[in-house]
Amino acid sequence: MSSPARGATSPGRLRSLGRNLLGLGFVSPYLAFVAVVFAYPFGFAVWMSFHDYFFTAPNVVVEHPFVGFENYVTVLTDPDVRRSFVNILVFLVINVPLTVFASMVLATALNAKLPMRSFFRAAYYVPYITASVAVVGVWLWLFSSGGLVNQLLGDLAPEPSWLVNETLAMPLIAVFVAWKQLGFFIMLYLAALQNVPKELYESADVDGASTVRKFLSVTVPGVRPATTLVLIVATITGANLFTEPYLLTGGGGPDGSSASPVLLMYQRGIEQGSPDVAAAIGVLLVLFVLVVSLINRKLTERG
Amino acid sequence: MSAPKTGRKLPRLIVLLIGACAFLFPFYYMVVGSLQPEPSSDPSALLPNPAGLTLGNYTAINDRVPLLSALANSGIFTGGVIAGTVVFGLLAGYALAQMRFKGRGLVFGTVLLVQLVPFQLLMIPLYVMIVRTYGLADTYLGIILPFAVNSTAVFVFRQFFLQLPRELFESARIDGAGELTIMLRIAVPLCKPALLTTVLLTFIGPWNEFLWPFLVTKDPDMQPLAVALANYISNVAGRAANPFGAILAGACVLAGPAVALYLAFQRRFVSTDLGSGVKG
Amino acid sequence: MKRALPFAAALLILPLAACGGGSGGDAAKAAGSKGPIKIWYANNPEEIAWAKQMVQSWNSAHKDQKVTAQEIPAGKSSEEVIGAAITAGNAPCLVFNTSPAAVSQFQKQGGLVPLDNFPGAAEHIEKRSGDLAQQYKSDDGKYYQLPWKSNPVMISYNKKMFEKAGLDPEKPELSTYDDFLAASKKLTGKGGAKAAIWPAPSSEFFQSWFDFYPLFAAETGGKQLLEDGKAQFTGPEGQRVADFWKSMYSKGYAQKEKYNGDSFADEKAAMTIAGPWAAKVYGEKIDYGVVPVPTSKGTPAADTKTFSDAKSVGMFSSCKNQGTAWEVMKFATSRDQDGKLLETTGQMPVRDGLTGTYADFFEKNPQYKAYADAAAHTVEVPNVPESIKVWQTFRDAYSRSVIFGKSDPESELKKAAAEAEKLAGQK
Repeated sequence: MSSPARGATSPGRLRSLGRNLLGLGFVSPYLAFVAVVFAYPFGFAVWMSFHDYFFTAPNVVVEHPFVGFENYVTVLTDPDVRRSFVNILVFLVINVPLTVFASMVLATALNAKLPMRSFFRAAYYVPYITASVAVVGVWLWLFSSGGLVNQLLGDLAPEPSWLVNETLAMPLIAVFVAWKQLGFFIMLYLAALQNVPKELYESADVDGASTVRKFLSVTVPGVRPATTLVLIVATITGANLFTEPYLLTGGGGPDGSSASPVLLMYQRGIEQGSPDVAAAIGVLLVLFVLVVSLINRKLTERG
Repeated sequence: MSAPKTGRKLPRLIVLLIGACAFLFPFYYMVVGSLQPEPSSDPSALLPNPAGLTLGNYTAINDRVPLLSALANSGIFTGGVIAGTVVFGLLAGYALAQMRFKGRGLVFGTVLLVQLVPFQLLMIPLYVMIVRTYGLADTYLGIILPFAVNSTAVFVFRQFFLQLPRELFESARIDGAGELTIMLRIAVPLCKPALLTTVLLTFIGPWNEFLWPFLVTKDPDMQPLAVALANYISNVAGRAANPFGAILAGACVLAGPAVALYLAFQRRFVSTDLGSGVKG
Repeated sequence: MKRALPFAAALLILPLAACGGGSGGDAAKAAGSKGPIKIWYANNPEEIAWAKQMVQSWNSAHKDQKVTAQEIPAGKSSEEVIGAAITAGNAPCLVFNTSPAAVSQFQKQGGLVPLDNFPGAAEHIEKRSGDLAQQYKSDDGKYYQLPWKSNPVMISYNKKMFEKAGLDPEKPELSTYDDFLAASKKLTGKGGAKAAIWPAPSSEFFQSWFDFYPLFAAETGGKQLLEDGKAQFTGPEGQRVADFWKSMYSKGYAQKEKYNGDSFADEKAAMTIAGPWAAKVYGEKIDYGVVPVPTSKGTPAADTKTFSDAKSVGMFSSCKNQGTAWEVMKFATSRDQDGKLLETTGQMPVRDGLTGTYADFFEKNPQYKAYADAAAHTVEVPNVPESIKVWQTFRDAYSRSVIFGKSDPESELKKAAAEAEKLAGQK
């Protein structure tokens, strides 16, 4: 873009004012939406996390005293909550690299001129739109103690079985989610690949580069913005994990080893009527993901 | 790819085919399961005798769920969400990627923050606000509003516009084109795959969403398909001859339009010839 | 402290506090007010049928006080929906599907109308439900719910599977823990059943109502989980029940993994713990018999207590025409309507002397007789503050020590007891 030196001249300053207004004009509908739909409930949740709060009927007047960090102390001293954050970290460490790698490779493979290309693309997209009950049903059929996987493994089957095994439950959920969401990320990469200039591949061909070489030196840098996107979106959706421990391991079992922070928020806030404690978990989760995402972004956009 | 390389494609094709089967399996499982009169968890049930299959689970749904009006409600809900997402998302995504203005970093930070916050945290305050403060219970606007702009979509657009070469925009600006023209005439056509992707990706969220439309609509005439089917499912679970079959049939009915839409759209998902665009 | 609030936060809170208006005087006015009202009921086919006829017969006699009725989902999400509706002030007047475990929370939110506001309400409840009514009183001595119907849980067993295992299908010996374990051994061994019984081993707070709690009620002769703020489950009786289930799990008679579907209907498990609704659900598919839940010494059937799995009717404070709402509540729990409920749903109205009042029905449908006898001996969840948190605490400890055998039930349940007493002591 323009060099900063130009801003010193008078027409430049005018132009930069115009540019600022124009840019803000473009983002203002979005910001208005955020202000109307998001800012209030979110600000409210943060406020709630510092007060003794519960939801009441409209006519009921109750004191909601300011309690400082009390809710945060409650949350941080709760072994279940601490465990859920460790669980989600285990989940992310397995799920995110797996997602990025598998979706990039598969998208590259699908981007070639293949016979039945439409069929393949649709096939990988399907688990993403199939309802959770069906997908979870398949996974239970495969991984329950008498399931197909254990029958194939015979004596090698883990004991206790996958979904009731404390060490294996969370990694299994991480793989499950990667598999279910892969179609989404393949789509993102496919779209990104459409914008990688063909000339780059052609000149690599002229240099006699191998397929792997081309993948590493043309494809990977060519889709870098998409990789940032995939990393961050995968991290965020992973951190908001809820449905899978809820359905697949019966509410975060065995013994809390697959419980996620959002599952605990649901239990504390909606089932048990302590939205203040749930809000504190939520705020901590947001901070946690923010840190992870910033690290990701540093690694990819400047790398 | 040139002709002599066809032979090298075979292994890739086989790997992709195996992968596709693994990904299609749950869908197959869902369809077969929905056609079975009796529940069965035996592996043999996966290769059923065609004579033993029945449409009973589907006719049962048709008897109890007002499919047409539910489908129309789903269409309005999803259509509203897509329209909002595309219009506002494009504007914001374009500005974040290709325009320089003060506070851009802050706006981008907001985009990320909005995605970070779990819906469970916002649900009840949001519900109280939409229903009590804005008075939007049992209205389409009330169902659509929280989903109307998808921050992930803004992020997707930004990343794709970022990928486009700067020279394109610079030269258009020198020619005196306005930003809106540049966006609509240059950026959007080049990012058609991204646009279609976003539509396909945001479509499925509201289409499958249960809890929010359920909270907002108490009037059965306003309920989208996912809500009507969830009511049906919780209602028949344990009652029908094949409860799991009934659930799977419900899931099939919900997935049907989504798959159809995908098939219709993905044919348009063709590569844009960016190379020539830069040269020209 | 209030002054320390940042101004911005005060602004944020405004919309929630607004449109409140005065309340004190309104309450008395609302209590007498008549006019159209809205009600919600559960969405299973039998209850829909009952509710429709109830509403129709009310409306035909009260043109000026029309009742509009709607279905809400049964089970988990109904509490979420009611909770959100209370906060938004758009709850209906009556919900015929209020879980007694959620009452203390709704009450704390100011969402429920104490029925004692209406003259003769306490008498109506106590006359209808007899001694059982006491369990539904809140800690301020008022009724915030009308105990409506119960589903006393019992052991249902599959006769065919019992026969195959070499057990007597007509009079099986299941009354003591030793009998139960011996039968389970045969069922999973010779009988080839995947499980003798398969209660959901998952961690939802309410799952203990269908494994630990019925046996606990029977073993203690009718104690609640908490009484007078003291946890009851750490005594020798609770210990015996925990040890019994622990052996069921460790010997593989009960599965630690959740079954995706209905294990009893699919004949994977030979027994299940279920209420009278089972007759409608399993009746045509499975030939089954019913016995009371076991106790260590084998309590006679007539004295065996069990968990009620009851639902109440609650009146919500956003209701304008509370006078009509109360009349509808009385109408819906009249002798006549209770009889219709029994006929259409098979669920037991929480009413004293069921078998005498509806002698005809039980003569024609003898399969319900055992449940009706059990209905007189039901134990409810304790009506204490933070009820759901207490159950979740209990469930987590139970799951850790009894189902997965990772720690000793005695010390684990003691820890849960201390936690539960602390929670229930809060106001």
